[in-house]
Amino acid sequence: MKWLLDFLKGTRLGHPLHPILVHVPMAMWPGALIFDLLSRWNGNAMVRLSFYVIIFGLVASLLAVPTGVVDWSGIKKEKPAWKIGLYHMILNLVVALLFAINLGLRVHTFRKETIVAGTPLALSIIGTALLIGSAYLGGLMVYDYGISVARMSKKKWRKIAVAGGANLPPE
Amino acid sequence: MLKDFLEGKPLRHPLHPMLVHFPIGLFILSLLLDLGSLAFPSTPSLVREAFYAMLLGIIGALIAAVPGFVDYTDIRDDHPGKRTATAHLTLNLIVVGLYGINLGIRSSTLNALKTPVGPLILSLVGIALLSVSGYLGGRLVYDEGISVGRHKRRTPTPENTLHLTRGENGEADFVPIPEAESLGDRETLRVEIDGQVIAIAKMDGNFYAFQEFCTHRFGPLSEGGFEGFNVQCPWHNSCFDVRTGKVTNGPAKVDLKTFTIETRDGKTGIVLPRERKES
Repeated sequence: MKWLLDFLKGTRLGHPLHPILVHVPMAMWPGALIFDLLSRWNGNAMVRLSFYVIIFGLVASLLAVPTGVVDWSGIKKEKPAWKIGLYHMILNLVVALLFAINLGLRVHTFRKETIVAGTPLALSIIGTALLIGSAYLGGLMVYDYGISVARMSKKKWRKIAVAGGANLPPE
Repeated sequence: MLKDFLEGKPLRHPLHPMLVHFPIGLFILSLLLDLGSLAFPSTPSLVREAFYAMLLGIIGALIAAVPGFVDYTDIRDDHPGKRTATAHLTLNLIVVGLYGINLGIRSSTLNALKTPVGPLILSLVGIALLSVSGYLGGRLVYDEGISVGRHKRRTPTPENTLHLTRGENGEADFVPIPEAESLGDRETLRVEIDGQVIAIAKMDGNFYAFQEFCTHRFGPLSEGGFEGFNVQCPWHNSCFDVRTGKVTNGPAKVDLKTFTIETRDGKTGIVLPRERKES
């Protein structure tokens, strides 16, 4: 069990795993929206591309879920970052669900259509907008609240601080 | 002003790590479409789609390079993460160069059913290097704390550490710091005196000196923000009173070591307690 948790936290890699995995849905779903729009000029190639891209995003986002949950469970409940993490998680679930529905609407038509229809396009727009909001919250957790920062390099920084003559808590 | 924007300070979030999702995702997508074209050559347009994904990836990479470069120049020269940052930057330039060549080769085979071997190999090499580079970029954030909490600071951060000494015998109890005299309000110096690393801040005309390292996870206080007489660690927001070194807000629990700044014979300098030499 511990090795699984360590793996999900990215301890073995020396880098939290969640922010690595999220690059894929974060690029794919806004990408799907761009390809949806490009289908107006490039026809079926873009309709197909959009379809593949949504699948790729969904697969990666499912992989990112356990890593995110593990990172979130390491935050104390009274910290402001805990609440941000909760919103981040809820929004991500909504976004993933929207793209799953979006994909379902395309399954039967993507091979022939030369333009993405109104409803899937609208779902791509809403999904992308919510995703950007959610990703921003995820970023705030790191860059504003320092979640996962110096988690794995704590020993190295302690050494540097000791050499620098700092007052330190006992190890 | 432009620098603050490119560092994402108004957003409280650096821009570079936001933008890099797109080139990373799109370059991977391009490779997957290549592999798809090999596995399912009867599927139309995969080669063309791989080309477009790559083109968008390159555009995204060039856009991300701008705030990335600004972030790079903001890292103190003697920061332990500087070398990682240089490697990250160099690798990224190589990756974009490779994809530029790759795109050029592909532009003549857009209607092929399978991606030719040459461009495919270039894509594989590109992804391999990009993975390493992306990993290094992540280490810069999660290990080195680069750009974490940077928006909390409103004045420039020290570009370097000043290295000073108490003399060969280590006996001087007053070390002049001429650089302190040109310090602006709420600016800091990072000073190392015979191993001891100290942050010096100027606030409302007075100088305050305290240990550089936060007592929580040892973040850099010379890059911290200021609220009243508090210095706030950029990493996890621990606050300390600069006058006493006392913790005013967690997660840190241990107080900072503080030092006295005095003016002697018209020179601003730091007072260090005499060291007892053990023989």
